[in-house]
Amino acid sequence: MAQSFDDITKQLGKRHRRTRRLKLTCMAAMVLSAVFLVVFLGDMVNRGWSAFQQGRMQIEVSYTEQSQQMPLTAVDEQYRQLVSRGFFRQIPQRMEADPELLGTTRTQWVIARSSVDQYLKGRENSLSEQQRQLIDRMVEQGNAKLAFNTTFFTTGDSRMAELAGILSAALGTLLTIIVTMAICFPIGVMTAVYLEEFAPDNRFTRLIEVNINNLAAVPSILFGLLGLAIFISFFGVPRSSPLVGGLTLSLMTLPMIIISTRAALRSVPDSIRHAAFGVGCTRWQVVSDHVLPVSIPGILTGSIIGLAQAMGETAPLIIVGMVAFMPDPSFSLTQAATVLPAQVYSWASLPNQAFQEKTAGGILVLLAVLITLNAAAVLLRNRFERRW
Amino acid sequence: MLDYLLPAFIVLMAGLGTIAFWMGRQRAARVRAEGTAMRSQPGQYGWFMSLASVGAATAIIFLCWLALLITGSPVPLYSLYFIGLAVALLGMGLALRYVRPDFHARSAIEGVIRFMLAGAALISILTTLGILVSVISEAIRFFSMYSFWDFITGTQWNPGASFLEAAGRSSSASSQAQFGSLPLFAGTFMITLIAMLVAIPVGLGSAIYMVEFAPRGVRQAFKPVLEILAGIPTVVYGFFAAITVSPLIVDIAGFFGLEASYTNALSPGIVMGIMIIPFISSLSDDVLHSVPNSLRQGALALGITKGEMIRNVVLPSATPGIISASLLAVSRALGETMIVVMAAGMSPNLTANPLETMTTVTVSIVSSLTGDLSFGSAHTLSAFALGLVLFAVTLLLNLVSVFMINHFREKYRLNTI
Amino acid sequence: MKKTIGTAAVLASAVMASSAVQASSNSSQLRIVGSSTVYPFASYVVEEFAATTQYPTPVLESTGSGGGIKLFCAGTGMDTPSITNASRRMKVEEFERCQSNGVNEITEATIGYDGIVFAESSVNEPINLTREQLFLALAAQVPQDGELVANPYQSWSDIDSSLPDREIEVYGPPTTSGTRDAFEELVMAAASEEMSAYGGEYTDIRSDGPYIDAGENDNLIVQRLQENQNAFGIFGYSFLEENPNALTAATINGEAPTPEAISSGDYPVSRSLFFYVKDAHVDSVDALRPYVELFMSDQMIAPNGYLSTIGLIPLPESLRQQEREEVTSFTPIELSDLQEG
Repeated sequence: MAQSFDDITKQLGKRHRRTRRLKLTCMAAMVLSAVFLVVFLGDMVNRGWSAFQQGRMQIEVSYTEQSQQMPLTAVDEQYRQLVSRGFFRQIPQRMEADPELLGTTRTQWVIARSSVDQYLKGRENSLSEQQRQLIDRMVEQGNAKLAFNTTFFTTGDSRMAELAGILSAALGTLLTIIVTMAICFPIGVMTAVYLEEFAPDNRFTRLIEVNINNLAAVPSILFGLLGLAIFISFFGVPRSSPLVGGLTLSLMTLPMIIISTRAALRSVPDSIRHAAFGVGCTRWQVVSDHVLPVSIPGILTGSIIGLAQAMGETAPLIIVGMVAFMPDPSFSLTQAATVLPAQVYSWASLPNQAFQEKTAGGILVLLAVLITLNAAAVLLRNRFERRW
Repeated sequence: MLDYLLPAFIVLMAGLGTIAFWMGRQRAARVRAEGTAMRSQPGQYGWFMSLASVGAATAIIFLCWLALLITGSPVPLYSLYFIGLAVALLGMGLALRYVRPDFHARSAIEGVIRFMLAGAALISILTTLGILVSVISEAIRFFSMYSFWDFITGTQWNPGASFLEAAGRSSSASSQAQFGSLPLFAGTFMITLIAMLVAIPVGLGSAIYMVEFAPRGVRQAFKPVLEILAGIPTVVYGFFAAITVSPLIVDIAGFFGLEASYTNALSPGIVMGIMIIPFISSLSDDVLHSVPNSLRQGALALGITKGEMIRNVVLPSATPGIISASLLAVSRALGETMIVVMAAGMSPNLTANPLETMTTVTVSIVSSLTGDLSFGSAHTLSAFALGLVLFAVTLLLNLVSVFMINHFREKYRLNTI
Repeated sequence: MKKTIGTAAVLASAVMASSAVQASSNSSQLRIVGSSTVYPFASYVVEEFAATTQYPTPVLESTGSGGGIKLFCAGTGMDTPSITNASRRMKVEEFERCQSNGVNEITEATIGYDGIVFAESSVNEPINLTREQLFLALAAQVPQDGELVANPYQSWSDIDSSLPDREIEVYGPPTTSGTRDAFEELVMAAASEEMSAYGGEYTDIRSDGPYIDAGENDNLIVQRLQENQNAFGIFGYSFLEENPNALTAATINGEAPTPEAISSGDYPVSRSLFFYVKDAHVDSVDALRPYVELFMSDQMIAPNGYLSTIGLIPLPESLRQQEREEVTSFTPIELSDLQEG
């Protein structure tokens, strides 16, 4: 089959075009995932940024004996439906704490009800036409505004959207993660050291290896069932406490830490081990004095990523009851708590539309923390990891 | 009171451990100072003392506690603490006699450490057993009420009207209940399939680009994108799917004159696909990297283009690895919970139309465990039966995947020799 | 390194050991579990209680009625909840389970009613339905010429020409939900009793498409109704109360779901909401009594109380007084109380 030089050149062009096409397709795939990320983040920011703002109103509050009994009477009638219930609730306590308030009338900024808040943000709300006009007037006079929402970061959950915050969930997450890491980091590293450095190559070792690989892919909800049956029912760990959440998550994170630690240990060249053995170290001395110290950056990187993953996990925690309603932050390992993702989940299922904004706001906070953690892990890896 | 007892006990034990360490070290140092050569370093004798006292005590307390719990008897805390203390002191006394020149403290420690490490490794086995035990015990109760075969092959998931039970007519209700899990698994597989249709092409495509084409700068810039995508919690994806993607899909379907449910299978599927992209991409990245360069060079040397090299040489040899990665991704998608709980429907629906509402195994597990049903009812117990099947399916997928990836590795390890 | 690993191992086992210790020792924090339908109301009371008293904040967890009763009935230890909320009455078997675990004295509190509404997007004209029409739209089998056949109706106008020509599409609670139980009992079973072909043997809601299981306490359902104007939703009255501009409810048998109509029983689809108190905890959990008193006070459950603003339908005056007396004196229920209903 004789082909002319021209034929081949033509064919060659075609073949090169096909390569370019492949390259473009693959590039498109990459760009597509970047686009997904941008769309997703944009959507969350768009829905959630307004959660960081809060509607406030400046009104006259009269602290009389009557208002101590019936807090609603402390403000002018037209504002009663516009001011947060949380403010009225505090009036008697505030007056008790500060007797000088009695008999005075003060003009002060108070938190507005979520319907007002939503109106100020231009979202759907349940205000009447009259109330809207009142608020418009107040805005013109500078008596109603949107300010930075400190409440969101300093309070726990609330039934009133304007008072709901993430503090108790954040504390719960912190405690749960501390328990998780306190358990799964040592056990994970020990297991990895055993498998990488000590274990004889026998059936038992292979069983453990297969088992760990399998555990890494077991659906997280099954760990929730495990937590429910073993930790809560059998060991009697208090339900919905950070302790039981942490224990459950630690078993879930364990395989991830083991796998990344093993990779880190494996990347240490054998020459180091040989040298240490050569000067008469025992196996444990080799590991603890020579192999582990140089692989610490790798181990930490893997652990931070595992930690971030545990932090975002929700399903097993729902099963072990960590979706408690926590109006006040608590800092105890054995009392009920909730975590950020569970808070997001329970807000997402509330009927009041104002909570949607809170949900997205909570998500933004959660994402900020997780992205920071991941960035720290990447930084750690790039900065300290040695290539041999 | 009890709240303080435990910390006090821990402090006490730590103190004892330190004392034991010092005693051992001191004593060994003294012996050595006399000029006798010792088998081990003084510090090692110290560690040996610590382990023999506090380590033994901790182990014994833990074992006693576990044994008591398993037999179901009440835990006498004070006696446990007392036993612990006694063991610690006894251990210290005994161990002190071993601080002598001809004793190999170093290998003794070595033995204990090896034992501890193996114990840690055992925990992962115990975890698997724990999952099995907790799921199976309840699943057995379910299968005593409902036939296993009907559960696996039935096409009607219709747990029956529990209000009849409430009205005291439970006999007729329980005969009505049907727990054919096929519609649930069909929903699960449909959503998984959609997720894979999104994740595999995009993930694999970006992996190929990163390994074969991308300049270093692009690779550096793109890696964080994948890492962020991988780090997003599933509950967030769920919210995104339910509140943004679902309405969008309904609108788009409406534009083409199709009717889509707001709880369609497409939206959790697509979002789950996005979630899995980084997973596929990083695994495929590894796999492509481990295809030996000699293959590429050989291929290029024959004068074929880069595209042909990728298509005809690199990809075929990477196929087992890629399939294995995809299987792992599939098992992840099957077990994914939050996205489907938030965005997929709750109607068991045996259909091939992804625009219709469908439910999944995990949704069913969550809703029956958090619903208003009475806890001993077959419906609640069905959650555990579903969990068992889910575990079995993911186990199978993982085993196949591990087998394939090992096969793949073996092949190239031989080649590089 | 040796030291850190050693300490960590000791700590880990200590933490494990401590859990059992602390479980039995933590007192005075009130634990509440139970129904997700009662959850919005209970959480409001919890928050008010926390803000206005010195007691430790009660812990409230939404577990569903069944899960709540299971935890509640596990025993009388301090680690078991003192209160469980329920959107249905405790079942006899559950009561017996309680008894066998030593939870002998249980007080039942009825806090009010929850109307179950049949609502649609407010862009539509309000629709009037009867129970029979709802039955015909949603039952798996309907009577035709004296025999039961699989439900043939696809559009509302098929059932009655006065109804709009819209496809039947109803988002309703899933089988795991107490709301669905109540709807089936109060609408479907009640309607079927008047149909001779059934003979009181109503069984199921149709599963061929028009009825779509949706999460019951899910604000997404409200969104879906706004966007899908053909569809109806079945949910608790509080959703209507929270979204007055977005949703409009159908009248059933000519009655609109207003608080008055639900409270008086004129609106046919309503159920009572409960919580159950473990009397054994009254003395050991300090916060229990004041919490129950706050919940049962007029400030909360009366017609102008706070809970009514978020959708609880109050009990009639006399019943409320009686209920309050019984509950705050912690009068235990008997097995026979549960059997009658």
